[in-house]
Amino acid sequence: MKEIVVISGKGGTGKTSITASFAVLAGTSVVVADCDVDAADMHLLMQPRVDVTEDFYSGQIANINQSQCTRCGKCINICRFDAISLRNKQYIIDPLSCEGCGYCARICPMKAIVNRERLAGQWYISNIKTGSLMVHAKLGIGADNSGKLVAKVKDEAKEIALEERREIVLIDGPPGVGCPVLSSLSGSNYVVLVTEPTVSGLHDLKRVYDLVKKFRIKAGCIINKADVNPAKTAEIKQFLTRENIAHISDLPYDENFTKAMTQGKTIVEFDNGQLKNTLTDSWNKIKQLVND
Amino acid sequence: MKIAFTATGTNWESMIDPRFGRTEYIVIYDEERQNLTGHDNSAVKNDAHGAGTATSQRIFELKPDVLITGNGPGEHASNALKHLNMKIFADAQELTLKQAYESFKSGKLREI
Repeated sequence: MKEIVVISGKGGTGKTSITASFAVLAGTSVVVADCDVDAADMHLLMQPRVDVTEDFYSGQIANINQSQCTRCGKCINICRFDAISLRNKQYIIDPLSCEGCGYCARICPMKAIVNRERLAGQWYISNIKTGSLMVHAKLGIGADNSGKLVAKVKDEAKEIALEERREIVLIDGPPGVGCPVLSSLSGSNYVVLVTEPTVSGLHDLKRVYDLVKKFRIKAGCIINKADVNPAKTAEIKQFLTRENIAHISDLPYDENFTKAMTQGKTIVEFDNGQLKNTLTDSWNKIKQLVND
Repeated sequence: MKIAFTATGTNWESMIDPRFGRTEYIVIYDEERQNLTGHDNSAVKNDAHGAGTATSQRIFELKPDVLITGNGPGEHASNALKHLNMKIFADAQELTLKQAYESFKSGKLREI
């Protein structure tokens, strides 16, 4: 079983559209994991029927037991996040402002405040339209993605792949270069970098590739919308050669991408021409590169 | 010599965990005493952030001479581990602890 993770550094390069296309092309041979849980939207293209739902806890939140509270007001004065307010003679915690630091719980003379694990969201195992399974998650407002949640989503997907003898776990990684990205890279066998020929596209590609290099994971790159800025595309290709990154393919700018999306379809279900061929070739190439 | 492994279990047949920060276990082999001890790392695995540095902290407490792992520690963990007089060997993720130990002994693992 191999783990392939698709990342981009910069958001909006077409990472999810391309990952979803690969999921459709690969069908039941892959288990899909959407680790971009901050702005999870792969489900829009995969039409999941949720089979398993579980709560996900991360971080802490203060909780005031009103029957023990003597309304001394010490907590409201020390809270650095202005998360406590007085309403109808009761001290109330604002869950969006509370950082779970635990200071109020520590100084409460009545021990009426306790820190509890914060319900951050839910994760799911779903049947998707490709006939396969997808592990994905949804975070509550104000909750942030974390290495922990990414590790959880990945672990579940891997377990399914092992049980059901699927060849590949295909991971839609988060944008950026932070903790969730590291967690999605760690333990994977191949990285697909999706970029676009813009100043920030190349800049963020370089930043995220530094992480990939640190973990010595093999990588290949797809340049999306390659024809909108040929000079920048050439610059990206030079970078790929210099860093010994496989150049998987160039995709043109094509409004069919958006048209497909508005119908809830991936581009390979919508387009039967050049785009579909290029993406099919790209996926075949990736499968070869993983096993090289 | 004390050798630390990032591992998915606690015996010689367990696989090396490719992850450093969120490894399931840290397993120590003490060559003089010839014993293998597993240290559960699930508390760190459940940290939302900063798993790499938290695991480094545990490695500091265990003070091994050698670490055998998979992808290897990331930037922050690497910087922390530099303060420890310990050699790090990576890319052992496809191996069991036994195989990884033998590969290390015969000089087949790559030091980073």
